[in-house]
Amino acid sequence: MRKIDIKQQKFETPREKDLLRHLISTSLKYKLWIGLLIAINLVGMYAYYRQVRFGLIVTAMRDYTSWGIYISNFVFFVAISLVGSLFSSILKLNNNVWAKPLIRVSEIIAVSAIICAAVIIIIDMGRPDRFFYVITHFRIQSPIIWDVIIISTYLVISFLLLFISILPDIAVCRDRLTEIPNWKKRFYRITAINWSNHPKQAERLNKVSKIMGIAVLPVAFAIHTVTSWLFATTWRPGWNSTNLGPYFVSGAFMAGAAAIIFAMYIIRKELKLHAYITEDHFDKMGRLLVLLSLIYLYFNINEYLGPAFKMVGIEGDQLSELFTGQYAIMYWFVQIGGLILPLILLMFKVMRKPFPIFLISLSVVLGAWFKRYLIVIPSLQHTYVPIQQVDESYLHYIPTWEEWAITISSFASLLLLITILIKLFPVIPIKSEEHDSETIVEPNIK
Amino acid sequence: MYAQDDMQDAKVSLSFSEDTDTKTITATVTDQNGLAAEEVELSFFVKRTFSLLKIGDGFNETDEDGVVEVAFPSDLPGDAEGNVTIIVKILDNDLYNDLSVETIKKWGVPTIINDDKDERSLWAAAANAPITLIISVTGMIFVIWFIILYIIFSFYKISKIKPLNL
Repeated sequence: MRKIDIKQQKFETPREKDLLRHLISTSLKYKLWIGLLIAINLVGMYAYYRQVRFGLIVTAMRDYTSWGIYISNFVFFVAISLVGSLFSSILKLNNNVWAKPLIRVSEIIAVSAIICAAVIIIIDMGRPDRFFYVITHFRIQSPIIWDVIIISTYLVISFLLLFISILPDIAVCRDRLTEIPNWKKRFYRITAINWSNHPKQAERLNKVSKIMGIAVLPVAFAIHTVTSWLFATTWRPGWNSTNLGPYFVSGAFMAGAAAIIFAMYIIRKELKLHAYITEDHFDKMGRLLVLLSLIYLYFNINEYLGPAFKMVGIEGDQLSELFTGQYAIMYWFVQIGGLILPLILLMFKVMRKPFPIFLISLSVVLGAWFKRYLIVIPSLQHTYVPIQQVDESYLHYIPTWEEWAITISSFASLLLLITILIKLFPVIPIKSEEHDSETIVEPNIK
Repeated sequence: MYAQDDMQDAKVSLSFSEDTDTKTITATVTDQNGLAAEEVELSFFVKRTFSLLKIGDGFNETDEDGVVEVAFPSDLPGDAEGNVTIIVKILDNDLYNDLSVETIKKWGVPTIINDDKDERSLWAAAANAPITLIISVTGMIFVIWFIILYIIFSFYKISKIKPLNL
């Protein structure tokens, strides 16, 4: 086996060194981090083994609360994945040049989150071996089918968006990195698909980038709108709302933007990219988060004010549980800690500095997860049909350790995927500009 | 083993009474000697399309005369003539074997079900999905996957472009 000496690696520019060095050296901290994530996943796999072995009875899900934290988590992951389209489409099409260094991070998060969302749906199935019945017993009238179609489509699009963004830099890795293992060299050679910076290649890549930038937007809106329709087409209080589509989409953009800020801070710190992810990026992301939070606040008011004004029937019971009942602490944490307080704090410039905004975005992300819990569970527990003569366990939902272990391990899987992708590819474009028509392209094959 | 040997067959006889407001099912349970069976738990059901609907209170236990009465809901749909199937069961009793007694009564609300399973609708079988839905969903899938395949084809074309100095 060839001995690798990292010190032998030559870089052409300081920028190249800064952005590529983490691909060739592996710190003990990184190994421990990976080890921790794998350990959490092993516990999750054991819990899943128990679920497959004994059935969904090991969970707290019963006839009424038939969607538990798995589905809350699924909605959360789908929400986070929307951040890819925010950067690759909305900000890009609006010529927000400042956001270009963040496109790749957003795509890495989007790809990882949508993979985890797809997996968690399979985990939620009591009989995963019957998954293909969804296809063989295909019924186009079912919102579940719409969701399966749109998630697989968005998964492919997210991969393509990430690939479009990193292709020129994979070629740089192939051409520059000498002190890496052979498997990695082979990997870069295959995935670089003969990229040689030829003007025709750049022109074509630029064209597909623009097409995808436009095409991803309706798909991104559709994925979370269809996810909201899974609820809106089910007869439960809190879901009988025409507001649900935009409510979900706006919440997703807000959660995704917070996730990006969170990731930016960690990546900047760990990969020492202070010169590339600057305080100005945090400041602009903070302003963007304020805008997205305001939109989400507007839909929140629409979602709760009407039913809360009337407080009738089972809708009123469900809202009482949220406002003053058993979910009150969680509800007010989500609304105040995850929405209103971040919104107010981020209006002050000092709070848009990296560390304060990192803490604020953490609160937003946590609020976003618990928000999905509050959307799913309390509504399921309040049925329009009277609940009579059922087992006591049907009336409450407290997730079991198996559900928590699987849910926590899905987070570990998300972080593991993000970590691996960051370890494989440069997170910031090596050229100071992303590939576009204005970039002067020079062939670099000598 | 001993418990099973001691088990005996009970007999359940049903009678029905109704006045203007209420309909009542009276079940009388006797043991194999014809004596009233006291404290026997009975379950009352009405047969529905897919399963049995439980009626009565949570616990319906016979009194010292072996009798238990259960009110029949006045708003349950029956068939076109109002017939409903009432089922009374003894389940998991310590002394008596499981038993099921079934009677048809004209106590339901006459309901004519339009057999529209052959019509195209959102709730029909897959083969009878609404045409507009099929066209719109298929159209959207076709457009977006055409773009995806075009992008993949573009990557293929990119891979075939030879470097300038070769």
